[in-house]
Amino acid sequence: MAKAFKYGLKGITGYLEPAERDLLRSLIDDVISMLQPEERTGQDPLAALIGLDMDVAEPTDRAVRRLLPNVVKDDGAASLEFRQLTERSLRETKIGALRAAALDLDKDEIVLTPEGARHWSMALNDVRLVLAERLDIRDEADAEHVHRMQDWSQAEDVESYLALVYNFTTWLQESLVQAMLQSLESRR
Amino acid sequence: MTISVAPGPDTQEGIRTGTAESTDSLTAPDIPWNLVIWNDPVNLMSYVSYVFQSYFGYSESKANKLMMEVHKKGRSIVASGSKEQVERHAVAMHGFGLWATVEKASGGHSGNSGKSGGPGQGKGKRG
Repeated sequence: MAKAFKYGLKGITGYLEPAERDLLRSLIDDVISMLQPEERTGQDPLAALIGLDMDVAEPTDRAVRRLLPNVVKDDGAASLEFRQLTERSLRETKIGALRAAALDLDKDEIVLTPEGARHWSMALNDVRLVLAERLDIRDEADAEHVHRMQDWSQAEDVESYLALVYNFTTWLQESLVQAMLQSLESRR
Repeated sequence: MTISVAPGPDTQEGIRTGTAESTDSLTAPDIPWNLVIWNDPVNLMSYVSYVFQSYFGYSESKANKLMMEVHKKGRSIVASGSKEQVERHAVAMHGFGLWATVEKASGGHSGNSGKSGGPGQGKGKRG
Protein backbone atom coordinates (compact mmCIF):
# COMPACT_ATOMS: atom_id res chain seq x y z
CA MET A 1 0.00 0.00 0.00
CA ALA A 2 1.03 3.56 -0.63
CA LYS A 3 2.25 5.60 2.32
CA ALA A 4 0.91 9.09 2.91
CA PHE A 5 3.25 11.93 1.99
CA LYS A 6 5.18 13.30 4.96
CA TYR A 7 7.17 16.43 5.60
CA GLY A 8 10.50 15.79 7.31
CA LEU A 9 14.21 16.44 7.22
CA LYS A 10 14.58 15.20 3.66
CA GLY A 11 11.72 17.33 2.46
CA ILE A 12 8.42 15.82 1.37
CA THR A 13 8.58 12.06 0.98
CA GLY A 14 6.12 9.42 -0.11
CA TYR A 15 6.04 5.80 -1.11
CA LEU A 16 3.98 4.07 -3.80
CA GLU A 17 3.69 0.42 -4.79
CA PRO A 18 4.70 -0.46 -8.37
CA ALA A 19 1.04 -1.04 -9.34
CA GLU A 20 0.07 2.34 -7.92
CA ARG A 21 2.89 4.00 -9.84
CA ASP A 22 1.77 2.32 -13.05
CA LEU A 23 -1.77 3.50 -12.43
CA LEU A 24 -0.69 7.09 -11.80
CA ARG A 25 1.60 7.04 -14.81
CA SER A 26 -1.23 5.99 -17.11
CA LEU A 27 -3.60 8.58 -15.62
CA ILE A 28 -0.95 11.27 -16.10
CA ASP A 29 -0.33 10.13 -19.68
CA ASP A 30 -4.06 10.36 -20.39
CA VAL A 31 -4.24 13.93 -19.14
CA ILE A 32 -1.10 14.89 -21.07
CA SER A 33 -2.61 13.53 -24.28
CA MET A 34 -5.78 15.55 -23.64
CA LEU A 35 -3.71 18.71 -23.17
CA GLN A 36 -1.32 18.29 -26.06
CA PRO A 37 -2.18 21.03 -28.55
CA GLU A 38 -2.99 19.69 -31.96
CA GLU A 39 -0.49 20.54 -34.65
CA ARG A 40 -2.11 22.54 -37.39
CA THR A 41 -0.68 23.15 -40.79
CA GLY A 42 -0.38 26.66 -42.08
CA GLN A 43 0.00 28.12 -38.62
CA ASP A 44 1.97 31.34 -38.29
CA PRO A 45 5.33 30.07 -36.97
CA LEU A 46 6.17 33.34 -35.24
CA ALA A 47 2.81 33.41 -33.47
CA ALA A 48 3.32 29.80 -32.37
CA LEU A 49 6.81 30.65 -31.13
CA ILE A 50 5.56 33.33 -28.75
CA GLY A 51 2.63 31.23 -27.64
CA LEU A 52 -0.15 32.88 -29.62
CA ASP A 53 -2.83 30.69 -31.11
CA MET A 54 -5.30 32.60 -33.23
CA ASP A 55 -7.15 29.42 -34.30
CA VAL A 56 -7.91 28.28 -30.77
CA ALA A 57 -11.49 27.41 -29.84
CA GLU A 58 -13.28 26.66 -26.59
CA PRO A 59 -12.68 22.94 -25.93
CA THR A 60 -15.64 20.68 -26.72
CA ASP A 61 -14.64 17.96 -24.23
CA ARG A 62 -16.02 18.79 -20.78
CA ALA A 63 -12.91 17.60 -18.99
CA VAL A 64 -10.59 19.66 -21.19
CA ARG A 65 -12.89 22.64 -20.67
CA ARG A 66 -12.54 22.18 -16.92
CA LEU A 67 -8.74 22.11 -17.26
CA LEU A 68 -8.78 25.18 -19.51
CA PRO A 69 -11.81 27.18 -18.37
CA ASN A 70 -13.21 30.41 -19.78
CA VAL A 71 -11.72 33.42 -18.04
CA VAL A 72 -14.80 35.64 -18.33
CA LYS A 73 -18.09 34.20 -17.16
CA ASP A 74 -20.87 34.30 -19.76
CA ASP A 75 -18.64 36.04 -22.29
CA GLY A 76 -17.41 33.63 -24.93
CA ALA A 77 -15.85 36.34 -27.11
CA ALA A 78 -13.70 37.86 -24.36
CA SER A 79 -12.76 34.39 -23.15
CA LEU A 80 -11.77 33.33 -26.65
CA GLU A 81 -9.59 36.40 -27.07
CA PHE A 82 -7.85 35.49 -23.82
CA ARG A 83 -7.42 31.88 -24.97
CA GLN A 84 -5.60 33.07 -28.09
CA LEU A 85 -3.01 34.74 -25.88
CA THR A 86 -2.71 32.29 -23.01
CA GLU A 87 -4.08 28.83 -23.71
CA ARG A 88 -0.99 27.43 -25.39
CA SER A 89 1.29 28.35 -22.50
CA LEU A 90 -1.28 27.16 -19.96
CA ARG A 91 -1.34 23.77 -21.69
CA GLU A 92 2.48 23.74 -21.58
CA THR A 93 2.54 24.63 -17.87
CA LYS A 94 0.17 21.81 -17.06
CA ILE A 95 1.99 19.30 -19.25
CA GLY A 96 5.28 20.35 -17.60
CA ALA A 97 3.92 19.64 -14.11
CA LEU A 98 2.43 16.32 -15.24
CA ARG A 99 5.70 15.23 -16.89
CA ALA A 100 7.70 16.22 -13.80
CA ALA A 101 5.43 14.11 -11.60
CA ALA A 102 5.64 11.17 -14.03
CA LEU A 103 9.46 11.29 -13.88
CA ASP A 104 9.36 11.01 -10.07
CA LEU A 105 7.35 7.79 -10.46
CA ASP A 106 10.44 5.92 -11.62
CA LYS A 107 11.57 5.38 -8.02
CA ASP A 108 9.86 3.54 -5.12
CA GLU A 109 10.47 6.33 -2.67
CA ILE A 110 9.41 9.75 -3.80
CA VAL A 111 11.44 12.66 -2.40
CA LEU A 112 10.14 16.08 -3.41
CA THR A 113 11.59 19.57 -3.32
CA PRO A 114 9.07 22.40 -2.75
CA GLU A 115 8.99 22.90 -6.53
CA GLY A 116 8.56 19.18 -7.15
CA ALA A 117 5.75 19.03 -4.60
CA ARG A 118 4.01 21.93 -6.33
CA HIS A 119 4.22 20.07 -9.65
CA TRP A 120 2.84 16.94 -8.02
CA SER A 121 -0.06 18.77 -6.43
CA MET A 122 -0.96 20.41 -9.75
CA ALA A 123 -0.65 17.10 -11.61
CA LEU A 124 -2.79 15.20 -9.11
CA ASN A 125 -5.35 17.99 -9.18
CA ASP A 126 -5.63 17.87 -12.97
CA VAL A 127 -5.91 14.07 -12.88
CA ARG A 128 -8.73 14.40 -10.32
CA LEU A 129 -10.52 17.07 -12.36
CA VAL A 130 -10.54 14.75 -15.37
CA LEU A 131 -11.67 11.72 -13.36
CA ALA A 132 -14.40 13.83 -11.75
CA GLU A 133 -15.75 14.79 -15.18
CA ARG A 134 -15.74 11.15 -16.26
CA LEU A 135 -17.59 10.26 -13.03
CA ASP A 136 -20.04 13.11 -13.59
CA ILE A 137 -19.30 14.76 -10.24
CA ARG A 138 -21.32 17.97 -10.51
CA ASP A 139 -21.96 18.91 -6.89
CA GLU A 140 -21.00 18.06 -3.33
CA ALA A 141 -23.64 15.31 -3.15
CA ASP A 142 -22.13 13.55 -6.18
CA ALA A 143 -18.68 13.91 -4.61
CA GLU A 144 -19.98 12.41 -1.36
CA HIS A 145 -21.56 9.51 -3.24
CA VAL A 146 -18.26 8.73 -4.99
CA HIS A 147 -16.34 9.19 -1.75
CA ARG A 148 -18.36 6.42 -0.06
CA MET A 149 -16.92 3.93 -2.53
CA GLN A 150 -13.87 2.63 -0.64
CA ASP A 151 -13.79 -1.14 -1.04
CA TRP A 152 -11.85 -2.54 -3.99
CA SER A 153 -13.85 -5.78 -3.78
CA GLN A 154 -16.90 -3.70 -4.79
CA ALA A 155 -15.28 -2.67 -8.06
CA GLU A 156 -17.48 -4.47 -10.56
CA ASP A 157 -17.81 -2.00 -13.39
CA VAL A 158 -15.89 0.83 -14.95
CA GLU A 159 -17.67 3.46 -12.89
CA SER A 160 -16.96 1.87 -9.51
CA TYR A 161 -13.35 1.25 -10.56
CA LEU A 162 -13.03 4.90 -11.60
CA ALA A 163 -14.55 5.98 -8.28
CA LEU A 164 -11.94 3.99 -6.37
CA VAL A 165 -9.17 5.43 -8.50
CA TYR A 166 -10.58 8.92 -7.86
CA ASN A 167 -10.65 8.29 -4.10
CA PHE A 168 -7.07 7.02 -4.17
CA THR A 169 -5.84 10.14 -5.97
CA THR A 170 -7.88 12.31 -3.58
CA TRP A 171 -6.28 10.64 -0.58
CA LEU A 172 -2.83 10.97 -2.13
CA GLN A 173 -3.31 14.68 -2.96
CA GLU A 174 -4.71 15.43 0.50
CA SER A 175 -1.71 13.84 2.19
CA LEU A 176 0.65 15.72 -0.15
CA VAL A 177 -1.03 19.08 0.46
CA GLN A 178 -0.96 18.56 4.24
CA ALA A 179 2.80 17.95 3.97
CA MET A 180 3.15 21.05 1.75
CA LEU A 181 1.25 23.18 4.28
CA GLN A 182 3.56 21.94 7.03
CA SER A 183 6.54 22.79 4.85
CA LEU A 184 5.13 26.31 4.19
CA GLU A 185 4.62 26.79 7.91
CA SER A 186 8.14 25.74 8.81
CA ARG A 187 9.59 28.25 6.35
CA ARG A 188 7.66 31.18 7.84
CA MET B 1 -14.73 21.78 -2.43
CA THR B 2 -14.09 18.69 -0.45
CA ILE B 3 -12.39 17.54 2.75
CA SER B 4 -11.32 19.84 5.54
CA VAL B 5 -8.09 21.68 6.10
CA ALA B 6 -5.71 21.09 8.99
CA PRO B 7 -5.54 23.84 11.63
CA GLY B 8 -2.28 25.63 12.29
CA PRO B 9 -0.79 28.85 13.64
CA ASP B 10 -1.57 32.11 11.98
CA THR B 11 1.33 34.00 10.47
CA GLN B 12 1.50 37.03 8.26
CA GLU B 13 4.52 36.44 6.12
CA GLY B 14 4.14 34.76 2.76
CA ILE B 15 6.67 32.61 0.97
CA ARG B 16 6.22 33.96 -2.47
CA THR B 17 4.03 36.72 -3.73
CA GLY B 18 2.41 36.74 -7.11
CA THR B 19 1.18 40.28 -6.80
CA ALA B 20 4.21 42.20 -8.00
CA GLU B 21 3.15 45.45 -9.61
CA SER B 22 3.45 45.84 -13.32
CA THR B 23 5.16 48.98 -14.52
CA ASP B 24 3.62 48.76 -17.95
CA SER B 25 2.47 52.28 -18.68
CA LEU B 26 0.12 51.17 -21.45
CA THR B 27 -2.33 49.57 -19.05
CA ALA B 28 -5.11 51.42 -17.32
CA PRO B 29 -4.38 50.79 -13.65
CA ASP B 30 -7.25 52.97 -12.44
CA ILE B 31 -9.91 50.56 -13.64
CA PRO B 32 -10.25 47.98 -10.90
CA TRP B 33 -10.80 44.35 -11.80
CA ASN B 34 -11.52 41.41 -9.57
CA LEU B 35 -10.23 37.86 -9.63
CA VAL B 36 -13.07 35.51 -8.69
CA ILE B 37 -12.61 31.90 -7.56
CA TRP B 38 -15.65 29.64 -7.94
CA ASN B 39 -16.60 26.65 -5.86
CA ASP B 40 -16.39 23.19 -7.36
CA PRO B 41 -16.89 19.76 -5.78
CA VAL B 42 -13.43 18.46 -6.70
CA ASN B 43 -10.74 20.81 -5.44
CA LEU B 44 -9.60 20.03 -1.91
CA MET B 45 -10.14 22.74 0.69
CA SER B 46 -6.57 22.25 1.87
CA TYR B 47 -5.27 22.65 -1.69
CA VAL B 48 -7.26 25.84 -2.31
CA SER B 49 -5.90 27.29 0.93
CA TYR B 50 -2.37 26.19 -0.02
CA VAL B 51 -2.68 27.94 -3.39
CA PHE B 52 -3.92 31.17 -1.76
CA GLN B 53 -1.04 31.07 0.76
CA SER B 54 1.77 30.11 -1.58
CA TYR B 55 0.78 32.09 -4.68
CA PHE B 56 -0.64 35.28 -3.16
CA GLY B 57 1.45 35.14 0.03
CA TYR B 58 -1.71 35.36 2.14
CA SER B 59 -1.59 34.39 5.82
CA GLU B 60 -3.13 31.05 6.71
CA SER B 61 -6.13 32.73 8.33
CA LYS B 62 -6.79 34.98 5.34
CA ALA B 63 -6.37 32.06 2.92
CA ASN B 64 -8.73 29.88 4.95
CA LYS B 65 -11.29 32.68 5.23
CA LEU B 66 -11.33 33.17 1.45
CA MET B 67 -11.41 29.40 0.89
CA MET B 68 -14.43 29.06 3.21
CA GLU B 69 -16.14 31.93 1.40
CA VAL B 70 -15.67 30.08 -1.91
CA HIS B 71 -16.99 26.90 -0.32
CA LYS B 72 -20.03 28.41 1.38
CA LYS B 73 -21.04 31.26 -0.92
CA GLY B 74 -20.01 29.60 -4.18
CA ARG B 75 -17.50 32.29 -5.09
CA SER B 76 -15.07 34.77 -3.60
CA ILE B 77 -13.08 37.75 -4.80
CA VAL B 78 -9.55 36.78 -3.85
CA ALA B 79 -7.57 39.59 -5.49
CA SER B 80 -8.12 42.93 -7.22
CA GLY B 81 -6.02 45.12 -9.44
CA SER B 82 -5.57 46.18 -13.03
CA LYS B 83 -7.04 44.01 -15.76
CA GLU B 84 -3.57 42.76 -16.59
CA GLN B 85 -2.80 41.81 -13.03
CA VAL B 86 -5.98 39.85 -12.44
CA GLU B 87 -5.67 38.16 -15.83
CA ARG B 88 -2.17 37.05 -14.92
CA HIS B 89 -3.51 35.69 -11.63
CA ALA B 90 -6.32 33.91 -13.49
CA VAL B 91 -3.84 32.06 -15.72
CA ALA B 92 -1.86 31.06 -12.62
CA MET B 93 -5.05 29.84 -10.92
CA HIS B 94 -5.99 27.83 -14.03
CA GLY B 95 -2.49 26.35 -13.87
CA PHE B 96 -3.28 25.16 -10.35
CA GLY B 97 -6.64 23.82 -11.55
CA LEU B 98 -8.77 26.35 -9.69
CA TRP B 99 -11.83 27.72 -11.46
CA ALA B 100 -11.03 31.42 -11.80
CA THR B 101 -12.65 34.24 -13.75
CA VAL B 102 -12.00 37.97 -14.02
CA GLU B 103 -14.65 40.68 -13.82
CA LYS B 104 -14.89 44.43 -13.55
CA ALA B 105 -15.02 45.56 -9.94
CA SER B 106 -18.27 47.42 -10.58
CA GLY B 107 -20.03 44.07 -10.68
CA GLY B 108 -20.58 43.63 -14.39
CA HIS B 109 -18.41 41.31 -16.38
CA SER B 110 -15.84 42.54 -18.82
CA GLY B 111 -16.99 42.21 -22.40
CA ASN B 112 -14.75 44.00 -24.83
CA SER B 113 -15.12 47.56 -23.65
CA GLY B 114 -11.87 48.54 -25.34
CA LYS B 115 -11.36 50.95 -22.48
CA SER B 116 -8.30 49.24 -21.16
CA GLY B 117 -7.36 47.90 -24.57
CA GLY B 118 -4.53 49.06 -26.74
CA PRO B 119 -1.31 47.48 -27.80
CA GLY B 120 -0.08 46.71 -24.32
CA GLN B 121 -3.12 44.78 -23.25
CA GLY B 122 -1.83 41.33 -23.91
CA LYS B 123 1.51 41.81 -22.24
CA GLY B 124 2.43 39.89 -19.16
CA LYS B 125 -0.36 37.37 -19.44
CA ARG B 126 2.01 34.55 -20.07
CA GLY B 127 4.41 33.31 -17.47
